[in-house]
Amino acid sequence: MYIPYVDIVPQLIANSVIAGAIYALIALGFNLIYGTTKFFNLAHGAVAACGAYAVFAILKTFALPVNIVVACAIGAFVAGIIGYGLERLIYRPLRRRKASNMVLMVASLGAFTALQAFIAILFTSQFQALESSGGISGAIEIYGAIITHTQVVIITCGIAIMAILAFIAKYTLFGKAVSAIKDDEEVARMVGIDTDRIIGKVFFIGSAIAGVAGILIGFDTGIEPTMGMNLLLKGTIASIIGGVGSLYGGFLGAFVLGFAENFGIWKISGEWKDAIAFVVLIVFLLVRPEGIIKK
Amino acid sequence: MYILETKNLKKSFGGVHALNDLSISFAKGKLTGIIGPNGSGKTTLVNVLTGMQAITGGAVVVGGKSLHAIRPEELPRLGITRTFQDVRLFEQMTVGDNIMVVLTARGPYAALTERSERKREERVKEVLEKVGLWEKRHQLAYNLSYGQRKLLEITRVLAMDADIILLDEPFAGLFKEMVKVIVHIIGELKAAGKTVLLIEHNMDLIRELSDHVIVMDAGGLLAEGKPDAVLARHDVIEAYLGE
Ligand SMILES: Nc1ncnc2c1ncn2[C@@H]1O[C@H](COP(=O)(O)OP(=O)(O)OP(=O)(O)O)[C@@H](O)[C@H]1O
Ligand SMILES: [Mg+2]
Repeated sequence: MYIPYVDIVPQLIANSVIAGAIYALIALGFNLIYGTTKFFNLAHGAVAACGAYAVFAILKTFALPVNIVVACAIGAFVAGIIGYGLERLIYRPLRRRKASNMVLMVASLGAFTALQAFIAILFTSQFQALESSGGISGAIEIYGAIITHTQVVIITCGIAIMAILAFIAKYTLFGKAVSAIKDDEEVARMVGIDTDRIIGKVFFIGSAIAGVAGILIGFDTGIEPTMGMNLLLKGTIASIIGGVGSLYGGFLGAFVLGFAENFGIWKISGEWKDAIAFVVLIVFLLVRPEGIIKK
Repeated sequence: MYILETKNLKKSFGGVHALNDLSISFAKGKLTGIIGPNGSGKTTLVNVLTGMQAITGGAVVVGGKSLHAIRPEELPRLGITRTFQDVRLFEQMTVGDNIMVVLTARGPYAALTERSERKREERVKEVLEKVGLWEKRHQLAYNLSYGQRKLLEITRVLAMDADIILLDEPFAGLFKEMVKVIVHIIGELKAAGKTVLLIEHNMDLIRELSDHVIVMDAGGLLAEGKPDAVLARHDVIEAYLGE
């Protein structure tokens, strides 16, 4: 982006925060699911794309006369249901058969591919815009940094969802049950926690959050069936550098990644962004494999 | 009257027969001490009874019902709970929440309907005060001392209010003071009419606490009967000395 007569640093900071918030939304759901089930749910990225395409279907394909916020809520719900469906139809039966986490991960890769193909069949493989005429447009300026209204929503959602999850974890029975399952699923079952039901809810919530991320990215930059892969990669990298399975870790890791990427390309071309992300990942894996927040 | 029985119970790990055609019974409301040399299958018995390990052969009879497979989530319904030889707590949760989560664990709808937060908090306070862990309620379980960890695990058993309680070496490695506390708790469980299985290597404690003693050896039953009689038997002494 070329912005004349503007100091680039405020814009870099803004871009970092925006990217961080998007990665945080993916990482939060991903970590929630990983923390409770201990497997890498690779389908998470495709679930995010499903949320975006659900909104696309509502607003563009069928041009339903619904409010954009309602459409987004439905999109997030659809993503949640898809995540929950994967858990019920694939992961849970596999867990029952004592499948290893590696098997679950491979199954989730299959689910990823299938969902992505399904989206392409229904909506074509083209890159498409998600913005609608009655939607969010315009921008604000802070210290010379331009932030679109969509991006404001992204940042707000990232922080708000983090806060809500932190509240749930600390103060609700559900949060405590999740925490117990994270620590020792077998003992949790032994003491009477309905782990299947809790894990089902975790999948719904985590996937709905992924849906929100997909939808917001869609409004910000557009959608394509393969969009899930990049989201998944950045979300997992954020999780790993923050502390995989940790709520705050994922959040923190996302912003570290956002800043590293955006400041990393300050003096070099933007194509290096993904490479920088992987360099950060590898550095963390070598120096601090347990992530920023270790238990 | 027997509340829990095993019928030709078998558990193998590859070629190792950890439980070898074991048929034993546990009287309702009594404390049965289980002794036996290292590797005789005591922990495996508890693991199989609680569904942590699958049954290879035979059956477990609980309350008259014969089971060939047990899943851990069925334990609350069966009225069974246990402690672990290597303590298993919810490490990243506070002492208070370790107990709270057990009280609220009667299914999600129960949690929605029995919203009486205060009642649960009172119960947490009650059991934690009883064992002297109330002051530690805000600490993570992870940060407790070894003895306190053992104690918290027993407290969880108290909170669960199960009828059949399996204790796998609850005294191992504890100081005298802590042993006293746990002896006291076990006494209360007996007084409350609970059925207790106590695995223990300390013969003095076994003698003091047991109504009945079962001696295991190589996954089978070596001897059983009244504590004094069983502990005086030559084959029992030999099994222990021979290890
Ligand atoms: N998960 C396992 N895999 C393979 N072998 C096992 C497993 N668990 C137990 N065993 C074997 O089964 C036998 C019985 O072990 P178990 O732990 O039940 O003994 P124990 O009576 O509890 O001994 P201790 O007094 O040392 O606690 C041993 O030979 C042990 O090596
Ligand atoms: Mg043992």
